Amino acid sequence: MKKFLGYLCFAVAFLSAPHAEAAINIFACEPEWASLAQEIGGDKVNVKSATTAQQDVHHIQARPSLLAAMRQSDLVFCTGAELEIGWLPLLLTQAGNSKVQSGSDGWLMASDYVQRLEVPARLDRANGDVHPMGNPHIQMDPRNIAIVAKALAQRLNTIDPANAPYYSKRYADFSTRWQAAMARWNTEIASLRGTPIAVQHRCWSYLINWMGLTMVTTLEPKPGIPPTSRHLAQVLEKLKIQPVKAVLYAAYEGDNGVIWLSDKAGIPAIQLPFTVGGNAQSKDLFGLYDSTIAMLKARIKP
Amino acid sequence: MQRLFLMAVILPVFLFCAAPFAQAADPDVEQLKAELQALKSAYQDKINALEQRVAELETVQTAATVPAPQPIAAPPVASAASPQINNDLADLNTPVMPVQQQGVQSNTTMQSNPSAFNPAIGLVLNSRLASYSREDGSVAGFAVGEEGERAGEGLSLGESELIFSANVDDMFTAQFTGAVVSENGEDGIEAEEAYVQTLGMPYGTSIKAGRMFANLGYMNEKHAHTDDFADRPLPYRAFLNNGFNDDGIQLSLILPTDLYTEVGAGAWRGDGFPAGNAEGASPGSYTAYGRVGGDIGYNQTWRLGLSMLRGDTNGEGRVSGEDGEEQIFNGDTNLYVADAKYTWAPTGNAGQQELDLQGEFFLRREDGTYEDTTIASPATSYKENQSGYYAQAVYQFRPQWRAGYRYTALQAGDVPVDLAGGVLDGEGHDPYVHSIMGDYTHSEFSRIRLQYNNDHVGRETDNQFIAQYIMSLGAHGAHKY
Repeated sequence: MKKFLGYLCFAVAFLSAPHAEAAINIFACEPEWASLAQEIGGDKVNVKSATTAQQDVHHIQARPSLLAAMRQSDLVFCTGAELEIGWLPLLLTQAGNSKVQSGSDGWLMASDYVQRLEVPARLDRANGDVHPMGNPHIQMDPRNIAIVAKALAQRLNTIDPANAPYYSKRYADFSTRWQAAMARWNTEIASLRGTPIAVQHRCWSYLINWMGLTMVTTLEPKPGIPPTSRHLAQVLEKLKIQPVKAVLYAAYEGDNGVIWLSDKAGIPAIQLPFTVGGNAQSKDLFGLYDSTIAMLKARIKP
Repeated sequence: MQRLFLMAVILPVFLFCAAPFAQAADPDVEQLKAELQALKSAYQDKINALEQRVAELETVQTAATVPAPQPIAAPPVASAASPQINNDLADLNTPVMPVQQQGVQSNTTMQSNPSAFNPAIGLVLNSRLASYSREDGSVAGFAVGEEGERAGEGLSLGESELIFSANVDDMFTAQFTGAVVSENGEDGIEAEEAYVQTLGMPYGTSIKAGRMFANLGYMNEKHAHTDDFADRPLPYRAFLNNGFNDDGIQLSLILPTDLYTEVGAGAWRGDGFPAGNAEGASPGSYTAYGRVGGDIGYNQTWRLGLSMLRGDTNGEGRVSGEDGEEQIFNGDTNLYVADAKYTWAPTGNAGQQELDLQGEFFLRREDGTYEDTTIASPATSYKENQSGYYAQAVYQFRPQWRAGYRYTALQAGDVPVDLAGGVLDGEGHDPYVHSIMGDYTHSEFSRIRLQYNNDHVGRETDNQFIAQYIMSLGAHGAHKY
């Protein structure tokens, strides 16, 4: 037994050694934050995204691979606002990594830094899978990305002071490019302002808010409950009175209801990337917005 | 019985103790307000001076870091706002603060509130309707513990759970799970789990202490409400009394490898099946386990594990069966478990569609004596191997609908002459069960299930129909893979 323990200790020491001088390991819950971490962290960081654009972040399992990644991470960079409540807390307790526990320097929740929309005044799950801390899908407003980028840069400076000048320089570079892109996007979206639209799930609220679109209805009867045929029929009736120009849904969402409604109502169903990797053009955050705006402008008839 | 009604005692005491706090809060608030006022006036001068300096240095609106939730009004306004954001965000020396700490209108109403630190409370209601065609549910050739017996027929409250959990501080997290049980017409709350777990130990280690379900096999540490079928497979019923939980301490270690690798071991009091009647200071049971797992691309996830449980009985031994028809085992039990789990979901998006395969193999070695009062046998020397397994497939074909099939079987050991004709004598029949189930998950908080078992645990076929609902109220803990 003692001999076995000795081997075990040796094995642990051996396996830990290669990581000792390696880059900062960042565990990003969503692809948008993985992309941002790569922008600011450059080659000083190893970034792992726990999810892809094709996955519904509300329904992720605390898989073995995520536990292994969490165990080795120096920074957990997630949306927060209870978006990942179904799996992140479990990963944190199971992985036993003291560096990234809630409230430590290795814990960065993007939604803590922005003004959240749709904070419910009344909490009742009869209203569906409501998020008590407000709508967590903050990444579809570029102003939020700008704020979170700064919070991330400051955090990287804190946990890796040796490379602080590097992060600061990369942040300044990103920030300059982002502001320029935002100025361009703001001009591009001017023609979309006031466009009435329908959405499948309320994950577009920040985009709608930023662009000044008007959300008429949702296809989900309640958040997190898939559209039923009866509810879709009601939505169709509503759209006859209050027509919309398009129905929006995300890359990870099923499209049965959306396509049906789109056919019946004669409006385009636009599957937007929603996050980095959601379509071929969304290789990074710039591509995500370029692609989203281009798709909306191409498909929505004025 | 000691642990029974524990909650029934704790709750009123808690409520009684909490009541004065609610009343005491008012004077405290008044005092705090006064202190705050004093602080305010003390710092007012400094703030005024600072405000003046800030105003001189720049005309940037502080609100720029916190864009109020309003759209970019029109392009001219937007482009005017952008450079201000730029100014403020470009300078990394001005910290970005969480919105909560900025003093602006907060996102949530986090007021000073004595209940703000209450543990998360979750309640899982699990109720069922069962119909069986065989009168007796005994498992041929096995002395099964009370929990492992066939559940009651008719309408019944299944295993409902009351779960309290919270971080104790930055070092510990704790959980209490009370199971509502009805035994012989009496209701009570049993402390199913009550443990603390460390959060910040070095080298990926974690220590859990208290009462808990041990890390053993795949299903053992899971709560019954997360199971894919309404009842546990045969080896869990026969070898673990549905699940091994005991008072003890468990150490686990996740290795810093890209391939998930976890090893751990536990020492237990020895009250839980397959041990029994713990006495003295030394532990009566030990567990050890090792697990590996990972992803294959984005679509597939797997996990493999090996574990073992050793339990020794003491004194009167481990008792199965009813009064007057008891089977008493005295001796050592060694149980070895191999488990495998595999899931496939297109693009890894389990919310839409998922195939879930799971199986476990058990080998039990019992070395000691059995006494069977049904046949008035003497304590007979018994040294035999028994085995059991299950394999199941569950397919979620639409976001809310799942269907599953499970096969489970047991193989008993040879029967010594003195025990022939008793409970341990399966008369050559090895138990097996085919199960099919379908369930509907309306939201992630509610599930309704129908299950049919073609049950051959005895010689006579038992056609079992089970309808079940599982409802989660309040805080709902995450589920482990």
